Amino acid sequence: MASTSESLYRSLVSVLRMLRSMRTALVLLLVVGAASVLGSLVPQAPTAPGAVADLFVTRPFLARVYRAVGLFDVYGSWWFTLTYVLLLISLASCLVPRTRALVRGLRPRPQPMRELDGMRHFAEAVVPEAPEAVLARSRTVLRRRRFRVAAAEPGLAAEKGGAREWGSLLFHWSLFLILMGAVYGKGFGLRGVATIVEGETWTEAHASYDLPPEEGRYFTEGMHTGVQLRLEDFDATYHSSGLPRDFVSRVEVIEARGRPAATTEVRVNHPLTVDGLKVFQQGYGWAPVIEVRHDGRLVAGGPAVFVTDAPNDQRRPWRGVIKLPSLDPQVGLAFRLLPDPLAGVAGAPMLEARNPFLLWRAWRGDLRLTSAQSVFRLDTTGLEPWLDGGLGLGETEELPGGIEITFRELREYTQLLVKRDPGTGLMLAAAILILVGLVPALASSRRRVWVRATGANGAGTRLQVGGFALQRRAAFEEEFDAIARELSKVER
Amino acid sequence: MSPGGLTTTSNLTFGLALVLYLAAAVASFHFLAFRRRGVLAAGRAVAFAGLAAHGVSVVTRGLAAGRVPWGNMYEYASVLGFLIVAAYLVVIERAWRTEEVRGFAIGTAVLAMAGATLIYVPPGPLVPALNSYWIQIHVVLAVLASSLFILATVFTVLYLVQDRRERRSAPVAVPAREPALVGAAGERPEDYAPADEETSALPAGRSSLPTSAALDRMAYRTIVFAFPIWTMAVIAGAIWAEQAWGRYWGWDPKEVWSFVTWVVFAAYLHARATVGWRGRRAAALALVGFGALVFNLVVVNTVIAGLHSYA
Repeated sequence: MASTSESLYRSLVSVLRMLRSMRTALVLLLVVGAASVLGSLVPQAPTAPGAVADLFVTRPFLARVYRAVGLFDVYGSWWFTLTYVLLLISLASCLVPRTRALVRGLRPRPQPMRELDGMRHFAEAVVPEAPEAVLARSRTVLRRRRFRVAAAEPGLAAEKGGAREWGSLLFHWSLFLILMGAVYGKGFGLRGVATIVEGETWTEAHASYDLPPEEGRYFTEGMHTGVQLRLEDFDATYHSSGLPRDFVSRVEVIEARGRPAATTEVRVNHPLTVDGLKVFQQGYGWAPVIEVRHDGRLVAGGPAVFVTDAPNDQRRPWRGVIKLPSLDPQVGLAFRLLPDPLAGVAGAPMLEARNPFLLWRAWRGDLRLTSAQSVFRLDTTGLEPWLDGGLGLGETEELPGGIEITFRELREYTQLLVKRDPGTGLMLAAAILILVGLVPALASSRRRVWVRATGANGAGTRLQVGGFALQRRAAFEEEFDAIARELSKVER
Repeated sequence: MSPGGLTTTSNLTFGLALVLYLAAAVASFHFLAFRRRGVLAAGRAVAFAGLAAHGVSVVTRGLAAGRVPWGNMYEYASVLGFLIVAAYLVVIERAWRTEEVRGFAIGTAVLAMAGATLIYVPPGPLVPALNSYWIQIHVVLAVLASSLFILATVFTVLYLVQDRRERRSAPVAVPAREPALVGAAGERPEDYAPADEETSALPAGRSSLPTSAALDRMAYRTIVFAFPIWTMAVIAGAIWAEQAWGRYWGWDPKEVWSFVTWVVFAAYLHARATVGWRGRRAAALALVGFGALVFNLVVVNTVIAGLHSYA
């Protein structure tokens, strides 16, 4: 037993030692880079599920291979995680001893004197003062030049440019902080999409989102805020060329904490912040108010959210459905909305509502509502086409059997991305620390100077100065000469 | 001036700058071949004239569009060329006295601008997602760092050429290393240069280019300067993405490739402090970093679908 645990320990130590080498870290860094390239070349399921589905149709074999290797979710795959965790372990095993050394070196300790005349820079002089006086002066001179000075019998050891190591450690440790911010933000985070029709109010709660929102592992039901957003008005504006100018949702915010209501604009690049949530403008669409009456009794009347199959092509009509399960036989109405039929006929994008027109088709039979289905589509397997027609704004059409359809009003809806990410503050702090560390880590240079003062034969002191720079050696030459001159200069 | 007049001015000065840069590059190569100092000085004046014309082109473009002049790929490539020439002429050549490489530096800007002419679009407004003050911070940092990385690549390629040439002609000239007094752990010189530091950047003997050591140091210093700027650009991009799209990092192709660029240049900086990776291997990493940078600029914008497809 003891020997297995010992050999396990030994192999663990040897793995750690390997991870500690710069060469391993370098290779792991390049592997992380190479692995992340894969995710930009193969469509990723979390960001482009459509493209992944397409690949299964166009190249099924390749798609199956990709799926087997986990290439459809590179950044969530176990092997990607493994490479960067290994890199971070490697980094930490290198940073810990360096940090310890740095902390230990905070207080200057006596150091051994070195052989000076073999150093890259060396100067020698005999001065009339006593060695103690020379050393005291050297200490002052070097401190004035912002060197850290320690005793090194029979002389001094001085060092400058510690910001390089400080900066480097700060930079590298901040990378861990970035990861912590990401994990924390995801764990307690929330992300969902809210669809709100003009004039309607949306309440922030799990069930209110279009699809179940992504909630972090540590997100609890009580973290939903209950904030209410009422969409006063949505406005999409366009340049004369048809390029979008801006998308603006005017939202009345009714905070759960009883704060007074305020009206604000949510625009692209201008999110709304409320109760720890951030609300972003994400999408929009048309929501016609269609009333359906049966024998004079209203059976459907709210705004119906319409969708488009090609969000970037406004020449296409929008589509939506109304399902009427209370009628016998059941009736399903499928609509096509042309916001601007004149533009549509001319093949131009229908950007604004001008004499909007609804094309409708009625189906009869079984809506099959007992099985799960889309609210934007009819399941026509149990239905048969019945009638069709068209409606202008404010018009009513009568169908046989006492059914009336009225196109009452055309409203717009907005789609807002609602997000909670408590990790962003930490991320921002880490990003600032990364920069604060990076600049001195690259820009400052470490240099060391030793001063040796021994009694000369007869009177005075034999002064020796040696030094070198670890970076920017050419620039150090001048500095060293100035120091050596200053040290051997006798004060009067 | 009317927007149309401004556009015409911008396009004409762009063409003028291109011609002047080309002339300056030719003058520089003429100097390399025939060593006539007068041609070199004239080339410098022509290059500055080109830079001035290019500056006018960029500014009038911005005025014509009524916004910052780096809102699409054409404009980005133009500003990139401008910064390559400006950083080289105004900073690098003045500080390091490296007239011999001027033709290569300006030639790269000419290539960027020639690329820009292939994707010309008339000035127009920005899409809403780009309409933010972050375009001034994020894009400026990105294009500035890119121009410096590209200059560093020019120096790296020349370093590899010169290194090869030197190793062929002088097989025994092994320069002295840093003396063994760097005893304590972790005290390795990080800007280790394969040859003596004090070697002049001016041509040695027959070769008309700076020594490989000087070129290596130029590439290193340029990358050291560019890397924090690139880091800032990526961070600014993340902050902007958080504001525009509701997430700071989503592995969008542009984000992936700027991360890859960052990783490779970080590897370059570490490689120079790693035994066995210095010199040519580190130089190869710099070239890979350049490849990622160009891929991000050209292929990601045009071929791969993503949030940054602006072509």
